[in-house]
Amino acid sequence: MPETKKSSVFSQKICRFCNDDQSKVYIDFYDIKALKPLISERGKIVPSRISGNCAKCQRILTRAIKKARNIALLPFAVEH
Amino acid sequence: MRSYQSVLILKPDIDEARVAEALEKIGEFIKSNGGACLKIENWGKKRLAYRVKKNRFGIYLNLYHTLDSAKVSDLENKFKLYDLVIKYMVVRLEDDELERALGKESSIEEEEEASVKSAGKASVKVDDDDEKEEDS
Repeated sequence: MPETKKSSVFSQKICRFCNDDQSKVYIDFYDIKALKPLISERGKIVPSRISGNCAKCQRILTRAIKKARNIALLPFAVEH
Repeated sequence: MRSYQSVLILKPDIDEARVAEALEKIGEFIKSNGGACLKIENWGKKRLAYRVKKNRFGIYLNLYHTLDSAKVSDLENKFKLYDLVIKYMVVRLEDDELERALGKESSIEEEEEASVKSAGKASVKVDDDDEKEEDS
């Protein structure tokens, strides 16, 4: 079943960037290992309601992804 | 004076001497305009996520430097006219971001070394398998 598969990938509704000690969150645009799982197959940004990220981290994340796209580290759209 | 991070993509088919030459040229330009190169990283040849000027690969360079805010447009113009550079991005860094970038040891290089090691191990394993097959 596709639904259970999806929920297994993003099962926990916990922000994956927030720290326990409330310190400032940094997401580097060149850290592709951290960004890749939050990109869909077509190259779209996964919405926070699916990934479970908090709103603040999601904003930082989208900025990082858009920078990475500009410098060809991540695709704008997947080529065919 | 502000701090910036410049990411450059050079043509994939040039040798290391020309990469060093390009780095020197850019470093000189930054110095002559009152800036300072703080950290230089060479990320090596990487596959691009999309084609840039018909290239599928590119050599990534990453520079942390300071520069007068008025000279940034000059620097970008320099990158634009430099024939080895196929794509560039200059990002302004806040003070805490710069400190974090300089404090952090180049983790990407470490990761690459680790991946090379694991690749070496994998190939060794493959060799073992072949031998076993021959034995059996």
